[in-house]
Amino acid sequence: MEEVDVEPAVTNIPAVGDKKHMGFAWGPGDILVYETLYQPPGPSGSVFPFIHEVRKDEDIYSPILRKLFNESHHIFVGLQTIKEDLPSKSKKPQFVSISKNYRSVIRACMEELQQVAISTNDAQVATQYGNQVSILLAIELIWNLCEVLFIDAAPAGSLLLHLLDWVRLHKADVYEKAREVLHSENPAEHPDYWDVVVSYVLQGKLEEVRQMLVKQATQQPAARGMYNLMDTLLSKMPYYNPGGTQTLTEFDVKWRHWHDEVDRCVQDNSFASNQHLELICKILLGSEDTLLQCKDLLSNWYHFLVTRLLFGHPTVKPTELHYFAQSSINMFLDSRTAPEPLDSILLAAFEFDIHQVIKDCSIALNNWWFVAHLTDLLDHCKLLQSHNLHFGSNLREFLLLEYASGLFTHHSLWQLAVDYFDHCPEFGRVYLELQIERVPLETERKALKVLRICEQRQMSEQVRSVCKIMAMRALRNNRLGSALSWSIRAKDAAFATLISEKFLQDYCARGTFSDLDLIDNLGPSMLLSDRLTFLGKYREFHKLYGEKRFTEAAKLLLSLMTAKIAPRSFWMTLLTDALPLLEQKEAIFSAEQTYELMFCLGELTSSLNTAAPGTDRSMQEEDLEVTKVELLRLALARNLAMAIVKEGTVDT
Amino acid sequence: MVSVINTVDTSHEDMIHDAQMDYYGTRLATCSSDRTVKIFDVRNGGQILVADLRGHEGPVWQVAWAHPMFGNILASCSYDRKVIIWKEENGSWDKMYEYTGHESSVNSVCWGPYDFGLILACGSSDGAISLLTFTGDQQWDIKKISNAHTIGCNAVSWAPAVVPGSLIDQPSGQKPNYVKRFVSGGCDNLVKLWKEEDGQWKEDQKLEAHSDWVRDVGWAPSIGLPTSTIASCSQDGRVFIWTCDDPAGNTWTAKLLHKFNDVVWHVSWSITGNILAVSGGDNKVTLWKESMDGQWACISDVSKGQGAVSTITDTQQNEQ
Repeated sequence: MEEVDVEPAVTNIPAVGDKKHMGFAWGPGDILVYETLYQPPGPSGSVFPFIHEVRKDEDIYSPILRKLFNESHHIFVGLQTIKEDLPSKSKKPQFVSISKNYRSVIRACMEELQQVAISTNDAQVATQYGNQVSILLAIELIWNLCEVLFIDAAPAGSLLLHLLDWVRLHKADVYEKAREVLHSENPAEHPDYWDVVVSYVLQGKLEEVRQMLVKQATQQPAARGMYNLMDTLLSKMPYYNPGGTQTLTEFDVKWRHWHDEVDRCVQDNSFASNQHLELICKILLGSEDTLLQCKDLLSNWYHFLVTRLLFGHPTVKPTELHYFAQSSINMFLDSRTAPEPLDSILLAAFEFDIHQVIKDCSIALNNWWFVAHLTDLLDHCKLLQSHNLHFGSNLREFLLLEYASGLFTHHSLWQLAVDYFDHCPEFGRVYLELQIERVPLETERKALKVLRICEQRQMSEQVRSVCKIMAMRALRNNRLGSALSWSIRAKDAAFATLISEKFLQDYCARGTFSDLDLIDNLGPSMLLSDRLTFLGKYREFHKLYGEKRFTEAAKLLLSLMTAKIAPRSFWMTLLTDALPLLEQKEAIFSAEQTYELMFCLGELTSSLNTAAPGTDRSMQEEDLEVTKVELLRLALARNLAMAIVKEGTVDT
Repeated sequence: MVSVINTVDTSHEDMIHDAQMDYYGTRLATCSSDRTVKIFDVRNGGQILVADLRGHEGPVWQVAWAHPMFGNILASCSYDRKVIIWKEENGSWDKMYEYTGHESSVNSVCWGPYDFGLILACGSSDGAISLLTFTGDQQWDIKKISNAHTIGCNAVSWAPAVVPGSLIDQPSGQKPNYVKRFVSGGCDNLVKLWKEEDGQWKEDQKLEAHSDWVRDVGWAPSIGLPTSTIASCSQDGRVFIWTCDDPAGNTWTAKLLHKFNDVVWHVSWSITGNILAVSGGDNKVTLWKESMDGQWACISDVSKGQGAVSTITDTQQNEQ
């Protein structure tokens, strides 16, 4: 961990020349830096053609920490759904259990890291993971203390019991040592025997102490009496039972009584002949000097603090903690050693200065995960309300945004970040809007995922952007159907027109439509652009024709021209399509419809004639066109005759 | 943690002047005094040269990626007075358009927000700013603001396509009436804001604070507040943060971010606009963040070091 409130850290980039500058650019997540020269062109000397990608929040990319991010995400989302209106009394156990869940995720992750650090052969990886373990250890330690002090907020009496648990959990090496001693051939003779006994005393594990002492007593029959006396003292030490009927005052009286008894033993020099038992007795008395002699076994000031409270002030109130903490730190650390960041953070916690804790953690620990989640939890416990920030957003949101922004740069974790942004009422949405457009849409599936996220949140601009990108990409890959459906989703009329045009060109060239399913099911989206409407209707004509519903087909075909839905360039194709209908045995076009068809043909040929000079169509094409027109004229005339006869017949 | 995660050897034969990641961080475009523009595929820490674009006849100053909804399009500008727009078609990169309307070096190119279609602003040493708009069918519409900055224009940067405060005032679902705006900085020591009205570009604001050439300007992304923010840096060593809370966009106030001991060449905002990166004659890139009490603090510093890459933990946040 680093010192708190330091100068910004420096990252060094390899480079050459002295008179060169550092150029940079933002990537979506990383920063690019390179050597450059901003001055006008001139001799630039030696060139260093490298571009370095610099990344913040590299933790995000650790495969093991990914589990931490994933699992804590579930806990986070669960926490957000706790009902606001529940009475705070029934919410507290929930918050405590959520806090414990977070801690167990940290522990699991820590254990896994430890395993990897031990099993790897790569020294660099081992160091890296070792560092991460020590950071997670510190995080868990701080979190646990915050849980005891802020979330559980245990009152006098229970407070000490919780602190004792806290110290025991984080000073677990005693148990390993104890196991080693107990499994040795002769535990009482083991060199670590007394260290284990004293460590147990310091942690208030007096039952264990008694069991250990029995082993010693049996070997020293002469000292039996002394051991018995110690056993009685140990067994009689009162513990507060928060669930019981005893009041705190009653406990206090009882405790004082026991304390006097210990004091008498010291005064009487009951254990003078055995230095170990005498040491234990003085610890039980709460002698600070004696405790300080055990510095090595206590190993840190907060263990000292808790042991000091256990044997000196077991009914300590939360408000008195800061006094004991400060004095413990002063007594424990000699004046030459400056407190480390972790010490300051724990001290701030003992002072109930939540904001200082969060602030110092943000600076000292190099990850946002911890501060963001802890602050969120504390905010739900209504512990942060007094702190309104000028920055426009509250502390909780500020930290969550930082954390989630880091997640967003990761190729798969970005999906977790979405939920975090969702729970930032003020800026979450805009952050999400800005970030989600940077998610690479490598596959259709990923695009649909991004799209769903945007649609669920009514981010219409982003939906449009994603669809347009996908439409453009499909077009570039010549997948017309996909391009069309994306541009319909994007409601991009110009692009839909462009693609419809391509479909029609395709049809003219090959005589068949691709992506029939799509075109057949356009429905109302057909109205997005005129050309798309035409495409849809034209396909409908083919369908009717295929189903031999000639009258309807004929009517539709005609209306495409008369209602000006079909582009003029396509009329000849439409008229050619009319030919087989005109040549049916029965008249399908009525006389009136035939007149209209003739009018269309007339209009088309006159415009063709005027446009004819200068066009570079080959003679062959020209001939073909002329033949087509003649064929049409003939067919129209025949049909007209048939229709008149038919209509006349019906009339009479 | 701030650490170097990847190093790309561009093999440029002369000084690199700009490097830009595409929208997704998957491709890197670089340009150099060796007159080339190169494109690398940098996915998964790789570095595959995708294109080596030759067409400029002088040092290439800047490159800019267009939004991916327009396809894969890159603009470059050069000392040779040209702006070239490159486009990838069927896997190969080719010139899509070449603009030769400037009479001197073109120093800066910047694509407008995608809401406006393909529109490119170019700032030149001839003092003019050109706006190139794609109108379809390989046609580009050109508008030129002559004498935008006396002696020369050094930088251009577009405003986000939002009416300030629109996310608060606008009824949902209704598309706000976007106004095209951008900021420029030049050798007249001025920062100028430009606005399109009835198809014509007009000077909207003139921001005076710098005492020497303005080297770069950056308009911050909108984060939904009715505030516009611009950063500017200058040869005078100063970096200013300009803000405007007024919906009409008329009242801008300047706040000095920092006075450096040397020329400040480049400023740029992160995607969500919460971090400003600054680089100057002191051979450093510093990252600045507005803390919760509205003060700007330097949070990290990327410097030139000797020899091997060293990784140093950074302070993540400074609330003071």
